[in-house]
Amino acid sequence: METEKDLLKPFKEFAGPNGEYYGNTFLKIQKDTLGKFHINIAAAIGSFIWAALRGNWLLFWIAFLIDLVALINLSLMAKYSQAAIDNAEKDFLVVRYEGWSADHLLGAILVFILGRLLVGWLADRFYYNQYNKWRVNRSVNSGSKSSRLVLVAVIAALIAPLMLYRSSQFAPEARTCIKQDRAIEKGETVPFKDRFDCAIIGEFPTLVWLDRPDEITYPRDENGNRYVERKPAREGLPPLDLNKYAAQAIDDGIGYLTAFYGFFFDGITAFLRTMLNMITAVFVGTPWIIAMGAILAISYVLAGTRITIFVGASLAYLALFGFWQTAMDTLSLVAASSIICVVFGLPLGVWVGKSTRGQSIVTPILDIMQTIPSFVYLLPAVAFFSIGKPPGILATVIFAMPPMVRLTALGLRHVPENTKEAALAFGANPRQLLTKVELPLALPSIMAGVNQVVMMSLSMVVVAALIGAGGMGFIVTEALANTRTGAGVLAGIGIALLAMMVDRVVQKANPTAEK
Amino acid sequence: MITSGDENVVVANNVWKIFGDRAKEALEAIRKDNLSKAEVLEQYGAVVGVKDVSISVNKGEVFCIMGLSGSGKSTLVRHINRLIEPTHGEILINGVNVGNLNAEDLRVMRADKIGMVFQNMALLPHRTVSDNIAFSLELRNVDAFTRAQAAEKVIETVSLQGYGDRYPSQLSGGMQQRVGLARALAADPDILLMDEPFSALDPLIRRGLQDEFLALSKVMKKTTLFITHDLDEAIRMGSRIAIMKDGEIVQIGTPEDIVTKPADKYVADFVAGISKLKLIFAHTIMQPIAKYEKENGKLKDIDACPKADTEDDLDTLVGHAVGQDNPVVIMSDGKPVGIVTKDALLRGVQGEA
Ligand SMILES: Nc1ncnc2c1ncn2[C@@H]1O[C@H](COP(=O)(O)OP(=O)(O)OP(=O)(O)O)[C@@H](O)[C@H]1O
Ligand SMILES: [Mg+2]
Repeated sequence: METEKDLLKPFKEFAGPNGEYYGNTFLKIQKDTLGKFHINIAAAIGSFIWAALRGNWLLFWIAFLIDLVALINLSLMAKYSQAAIDNAEKDFLVVRYEGWSADHLLGAILVFILGRLLVGWLADRFYYNQYNKWRVNRSVNSGSKSSRLVLVAVIAALIAPLMLYRSSQFAPEARTCIKQDRAIEKGETVPFKDRFDCAIIGEFPTLVWLDRPDEITYPRDENGNRYVERKPAREGLPPLDLNKYAAQAIDDGIGYLTAFYGFFFDGITAFLRTMLNMITAVFVGTPWIIAMGAILAISYVLAGTRITIFVGASLAYLALFGFWQTAMDTLSLVAASSIICVVFGLPLGVWVGKSTRGQSIVTPILDIMQTIPSFVYLLPAVAFFSIGKPPGILATVIFAMPPMVRLTALGLRHVPENTKEAALAFGANPRQLLTKVELPLALPSIMAGVNQVVMMSLSMVVVAALIGAGGMGFIVTEALANTRTGAGVLAGIGIALLAMMVDRVVQKANPTAEK
Repeated sequence: MITSGDENVVVANNVWKIFGDRAKEALEAIRKDNLSKAEVLEQYGAVVGVKDVSISVNKGEVFCIMGLSGSGKSTLVRHINRLIEPTHGEILINGVNVGNLNAEDLRVMRADKIGMVFQNMALLPHRTVSDNIAFSLELRNVDAFTRAQAAEKVIETVSLQGYGDRYPSQLSGGMQQRVGLARALAADPDILLMDEPFSALDPLIRRGLQDEFLALSKVMKKTTLFITHDLDEAIRMGSRIAIMKDGEIVQIGTPEDIVTKPADKYVADFVAGISKLKLIFAHTIMQPIAKYEKENGKLKDIDACPKADTEDDLDTLVGHAVGQDNPVVIMSDGKPVGIVTKDALLRGVQGEA
């Protein structure tokens, strides 16, 4: 008995009131004999109050949120049964509201009962954890202190009333709030409740209303030169919120650039189109039988028998299901984008790899480029280059370029310092150092970059079908729009095969990848 | 100050190298307050690599630089082909101040005059052995045919026949180091810088390469700076040895000087474990015949005694003395000049001349 007492002593010291119970429970936890369904009744009943008294704030928040959710459900039930009574003359509304009301009642009961059980179950386990922390650090909460209830009261007073109010009210619509803003501006009086609802429980309130900017157009004068024409906005139109105002400004800016520097964008478009035409001429312009033979031969030389069999099967699928031309179209786009990526990405990568300035300028841009979801790139492409294949290529290039730059730079930076030093010691100049030592040694990394560029181009080219780049992606987007699931699935499989085919061949073709 | 000329091919005058952004400040402080390496690191965040080193290497000699890891050996030789710029001091090669060369002249000097072998070989893995060897020629835009011929010649010199078309990764470490040596020799430079060329190899192969290199250098007579952290190696290879400690040179001398007259305790500790058999010569340990006869009585029968030359080393003397009761008589120009007793021999082996 003596020893048993001693065993419980630290537990009791920690737990304070009711030390006997907690001591025995903790002992069971330590001996691994605590029942699977052991529940602390006091905690289940006291819930967040128990947790607060004991100073376990994690459990407090869990318990508090559970009870809050139950209460909100209850309040929603009340709101919808009242709404059912208010709309008694409209049968369909009554049915709907009564259904919701019943759902929320059930929800409230379930959340409350299951939640309390959960809290009771967690209580001693969390508390034991807290005890372990307390042993290491005596400033961890211990014992039971009613002073902690003050904090509970503050938190509950800050959060619960608003949450309950929100759930008992129908949120005002955005339009109602806009009207309200107007009315206030005109000096009409609006009931406090309505203003409060608009400010707190609906959409985040519109803080600023901006006057409409001038309407700007870029017509041509009699010589055919464009000029800027500003007209003040029409009288009587409502002011704009920040979003619409900024959007208008951006549109004006883009409009200005396309109007006055159109030749620049047209030049790029023309260049891209010419390049694409040359490549398409090869892929699409070659009779299928020759193209197919050529692809098989290339994959055999580069990647060996097994992969060639796979490539053959994939090509057969594409051909049999009538995707041949479309697939070749897609491949031309991929080829065009990949070539541009490599041609621009490689020098950029060299710059990033060799100069700290380059690195500090380009790396953040690449980071941003890689976090933006792919289809967002379609926007600027469309804004400056309208729709079609050239902007599709451009969006693809922006999307697929980062790995080229990154991996080139990485490869250069990983060239061993002593190898470079050796080259210098034998009289290499900077250019020789780059071409004879650094680039060859970085080749595996560069080739990995090319591989990624090709794969990312392929995925982006499919997305670019949304802005009229055509190809396999077009079939999928069309199928989506017209819910022609079958056609979409077939094209999807085609895209997957195409991707796997290209991936396998490019990967195998990379001579340094295996080493 | 030494100016280099016919005799002194490579000369370093008061070379300092301090790594760090505040190197100049640190240099001033060291000169004024004589700070230690640790203090400089603490106060200036700078590392002292080389501290006031002056050396002069004669034409055709193998000059060894010996020191423990981190003592600044690599840093010092990298000054010679200006892979590192000194914080202070100057390097002269055949009388030309390396620090004053422009980029192009520097490249020409590196390519034509100096061959370097690296501690970690630093071969180019994507090139065949021949292409590695001919690298310095390729950098000077020598045509492929000439390059191949030159490579073939040095491949023979380092006995790697038949390996020209392999890749470095297909060769053993010892063979790779020979490729490194061949690459340094390919442009037929006047000066060889060898930074611990054999350190990464196992003792047997190292021994073999040392012998080969010694044989080669007898024929080629290239001025060589040979770095090592192994005193045995330094003694085998070097005609003179410079011992470095914490960036400073603590002693320069012939192997025998170093072994018999260590400048301080640091060097003495090094020398303690070294075999003296090949380093100490008869003239150092012999005593005059007169002195011997005064102590031991008249030498009975000179003809029965084994004979040796003044320039014979301990190893040879021991060979003569084994199985003999008579002392060894040292001859010079056919006349006996001294006596080496067994006691003297044993002392000699201990390193006490
Ligand atoms: N680039 C550098 N930047 C800063 N400190 C350096 C640099 N290079 C060398 N050092 C320092 O200079 C000192 C001498 O280095 P060094 O490489 O010359 O030594 P070492 O004698 O060649 O040694 P090892 O036998 O290990 O090759 C060391 O303390 C090292 O930390
Ligand atoms: Mg070194």
